[in-house]
Amino acid sequence: MQTPDEIIHQPVRLKIMAALNTLEARQWLEFVALRAIVQATDGNLGAHLTTLEAAGYVLVKKDFVGKKPRTRVCLSRSGREAFGRYVIALQAILEPGSLEPDHQQN
Amino acid sequence: MLPTAEEAAQALRDIDLIKHRAAGFQDYRAESGQLILWGLAYLAGFSLSACFPRYLLGIWTAVVLAALAIGTWLAVRSGAGAGIVRRYLAVITTILSFIIAVHWVFWPISPEQGAMLAPLFLSALYVLRGIQLRPRYTVIGAALGILSLGGYLFLLPVFWPWMAMACGGTLILSGLWLRSH
Repeated sequence: MQTPDEIIHQPVRLKIMAALNTLEARQWLEFVALRAIVQATDGNLGAHLTTLEAAGYVLVKKDFVGKKPRTRVCLSRSGREAFGRYVIALQAILEPGSLEPDHQQN
Repeated sequence: MLPTAEEAAQALRDIDLIKHRAAGFQDYRAESGQLILWGLAYLAGFSLSACFPRYLLGIWTAVVLAALAIGTWLAVRSGAGAGIVRRYLAVITTILSFIIAVHWVFWPISPEQGAMLAPLFLSALYVLRGIQLRPRYTVIGAALGILSLGGYLFLLPVFWPWMAMACGGTLILSGLWLRSH
């Protein structure tokens, strides 16, 4: 059985990935909006985004709207694929008989 | 290490919760722009109706067409796909068709009676939408209905300025409220 992705398998990072996965490809979400959805602090969210960015799962864009700084986040293609695989791995764990010893050895 | 079945179930529940929360967030954000836009349109329409009561048809035709054009642009700009524009135009067409049909069936009606149709219909739609989907819409619908009806029943001498504030103001404030979600 495939082990769920360790990078995604962390509560805050899982929420980030789940939130960004609801958007269409190349659709960006503002940091403040993501913070409201995930319900994390600025520092916590920033740290986990850095981890996901380093893994190539999210893209982070920083720019200015007038004089106001703005940070936007988007799920990368590999991030979307990794999240899909992660969900499949979780569902596989819940399938009847999937945790029997002979299945775990395979 | 492989997560336990309980951990996997919890992770899937978290994903569902976030999906629901993100959908609500996006829904409120998209709706807030439209509420502010149509609130401004009502504010302009009712204010102009108060100043130029002889030109109601011209005023409202211009106001609705301008709001519809800007609303369509906002829907396109939302980046939510072509389907959203089609649905938006279908919703506006349905509302306009209902208002025209009721005018036709009950004609002749006074300008004040005619002006009540859209706010009351919108009020009912928002209350129903709130009951089925998200609670803030119920509050918006109830406020719109009560303030509009109150103006018609008790404030007829100042009906047009009242409706500018009650209808336009309620929609604008509601849009700002949803944006703060």
